[in-house]
Amino acid sequence: MSPEVLIGLTQSTGLLVLLSTGIGVTIGLIVGMIPGLTISTGIIVLLPVTFVLPADISIALLLGLYVGGMTGGSFSAVLLNIPGTPSASATAMDGYPMAARGEAGRALGIAITASFIGGMVSFLFLFSIAPLLANVALEFRTEDMFAVVFFGLTIICSFAAKSLIKGLLSAAIGLAIVTIGQDPVMGTQRFTFGQVNLMAGVHFLTAMIGLFAIPQLVANLTDGTGSASRVQTRLTSVLPKLSDLKAIRRSVSIGSLTGAFLGILPGAGGPIAAFISYEYARKASKRPDEFGTGVVEGVAAPESANNAVTGGALIPMMTLGIPGDPVTAILIGALIIHGLAPGPLMFLERADFAYGLIFSFLWANIFNFIIALAALRLLVKILATPRALLMPTVAVLCVIGSFALRNNFFDVYVMLLFGLIGLAMRWLDMPVVPLLLALVLGSQLEENLRVALTSSQGDISIFFTSPISLGFLILSLLSIVWSLRSARRANRVTSPPHKETPP
Amino acid sequence: MSILRHTLTGAIALGVVAATTPALAFPDKPIEFVIPFGAGGGADIEGRLLAKEMSKVLGVPVTPVNRTGGGGAVAYTHTKNAKPDGHTVVWNSTSVLTSTNLGNTDFLYDALDHVGRVEFQPQPFAVRADAPWKDFGEFVTACKAAPGTLKVANAGTGSSTHTAAVMLMNAVGCKVIHLPKGIKGRNKSVLNGEANAMIAPLTGAVNLTKAGKLRLLVMPTDTRSSIFPDVPTAKELGYNVSLDLFRGLSVPPNTPNEIKKILADAMAKAANSEAFLDLAKKKGFTVAPLGHEAFSKLLAEENVKVRAIFASAGLLPTK
Repeated sequence: MSPEVLIGLTQSTGLLVLLSTGIGVTIGLIVGMIPGLTISTGIIVLLPVTFVLPADISIALLLGLYVGGMTGGSFSAVLLNIPGTPSASATAMDGYPMAARGEAGRALGIAITASFIGGMVSFLFLFSIAPLLANVALEFRTEDMFAVVFFGLTIICSFAAKSLIKGLLSAAIGLAIVTIGQDPVMGTQRFTFGQVNLMAGVHFLTAMIGLFAIPQLVANLTDGTGSASRVQTRLTSVLPKLSDLKAIRRSVSIGSLTGAFLGILPGAGGPIAAFISYEYARKASKRPDEFGTGVVEGVAAPESANNAVTGGALIPMMTLGIPGDPVTAILIGALIIHGLAPGPLMFLERADFAYGLIFSFLWANIFNFIIALAALRLLVKILATPRALLMPTVAVLCVIGSFALRNNFFDVYVMLLFGLIGLAMRWLDMPVVPLLLALVLGSQLEENLRVALTSSQGDISIFFTSPISLGFLILSLLSIVWSLRSARRANRVTSPPHKETPP
Repeated sequence: MSILRHTLTGAIALGVVAATTPALAFPDKPIEFVIPFGAGGGADIEGRLLAKEMSKVLGVPVTPVNRTGGGGAVAYTHTKNAKPDGHTVVWNSTSVLTSTNLGNTDFLYDALDHVGRVEFQPQPFAVRADAPWKDFGEFVTACKAAPGTLKVANAGTGSSTHTAAVMLMNAVGCKVIHLPKGIKGRNKSVLNGEANAMIAPLTGAVNLTKAGKLRLLVMPTDTRSSIFPDVPTAKELGYNVSLDLFRGLSVPPNTPNEIKKILADAMAKAANSEAFLDLAKKKGFTVAPLGHEAFSKLLAEENVKVRAIFASAGLLPTK
């Protein structure tokens, strides 16, 4: 082991770092559990708090929330048949039937255990692949980075499954918003209309708070269900039985590997990984017909997959500076705020911090397992909290968050404007994720394109002569074709498609 | 209503006190310390420490606030429009000349009042440690042999490092491709060979140079750096150019002289505090406080330089 690995391990075990990991996990479990609060919202809301904390502590807190949230989503999926997060949607298919039979404790025990295994597998992926990939990524030139970012953007197509036009329109709006502010190459102003506040452009976190949190608040206000009264807070034995563990062996393996792999691909994220591994596990099972009636394998596969996504998604984030899913997009923002731009140089310049982050992720998974099992009975009681208390808090935190980002009240108006845009998009049934990805990747796309063309003096062949760039462009093409074909097939097979899931 | 009346009475009373004893009233509340660049960067780390040390001297909180955008334009505009009572200061840098001359603001540097300079650092010209050019002369020869092919990375059009790069290349008379890259991407691009050289603030290149990954060929500055005394200055090589990255404090226009004096004293004390000198040693910048007069003279000189360089690169706005 190199000294940096040991320093990282030591840093991640500092008392305050461990404490904040644990707090993060607990908040994550709660946020994930409450329908109407997604992990993205939770992290966005918590972000301003981290501005005043040291970088390692903030990241430990946010990583804990990320991991805990993935598990917490299964609680409400099992108990209420309402997934707490979109990533837990697949869990409800077998989890709720189990709970309806009175086996809620058993289902949750399986979910927590599968989450833990999925998380640990993805930790191994992260620990072994990230430093190697960072070394390779150091050789990536501007034109290669353009191709990588472009590849990340093609994932938009898989979110546009229901309507390609709406998905592309959403992405186009995102790319257009990115052009506001200073031109990244010439430094001249674009679309600022003489407004100093627009010079720095729209901060993607400001936009994201508006796009995600505001429509969610409005939806919570209008659906009027109040708190959930059907919660079965009485749980029988939570610790999974040995026979159950044996039964889920295969589905957990499938879920963990699928999740970690899909996590690495930019943009795929938890919901997709959970559904795909549910499908794989069903096909690989000896009793595929019983899936959907409440079998443990059906809970284990998606739960191991969505937690495995977390470690996978951290890989492109740390090595390329490209988010693997919406949550890592926010994490990048958080790291940049602390002056730590994720990317290949992170392993060169701040290897101690990079390994500290990786080990914090390990602790987050271990804490998640322990806290979830030990405090389950207490945690599920929160499901009975009236939303009348919860949602105003979130609303206030949205305003604080968007202000604190740049200490500029103008950004609060920008956030509210994006709230309206988010509402309009929800009303038009237009997916928000393409817009978000375009906001996150758009400026990198433009900057790398233009710097590469500056470098080649306008010769476009630079993108095809570099083998790395060419390789990623081919991958992009494959990604587009694959997602369009699988979308068409999915539409044919399941004519009533499952409800659109925002992240 | 009575609360309002009390507050009003209090405010009037305070106003009377302030009017009768203006010099003693400062500072009577927290000072906003505006940082024009993002949290975690060089300007931020150095500014935050200075603010902390100033707060010890002044006895009121000096609160760092990052107001980013427009290469500093957002922060300078905010400060120009703030109340000239000394409770808003901006942590300026060479960007107060570049962002204004670029036309990002509708005023020039002299629209602000300047308290003084705190520190400066050279902007070295660096290549990869195993690059074929052993010294700057060899680079110039190679550059002249193939004009317009070698790539020099800098922070992008109108930045302090870009200004220095244009200045240096004008002086040696060779044409290069300027690659706009943030400091992380810039270091990476020199290491992987995409860029042949770069200009960076010394603090951005110091770690990789010490690690033996980068070689500094020349520094367009007046005297050799104490950290890398082997690196010649541009003047020693016969090119009469220099442009340092400086940082200091500015306040809104028409801030009373007594207040500026108090701020300048606190600034100088903070700059010479043990913590700040330690940071300087670690990061590679030079602590050299200048008062209002000397700093204003320096700004005027540097402004002429920046305008000339911008004019040569066609960057001055045509108004």
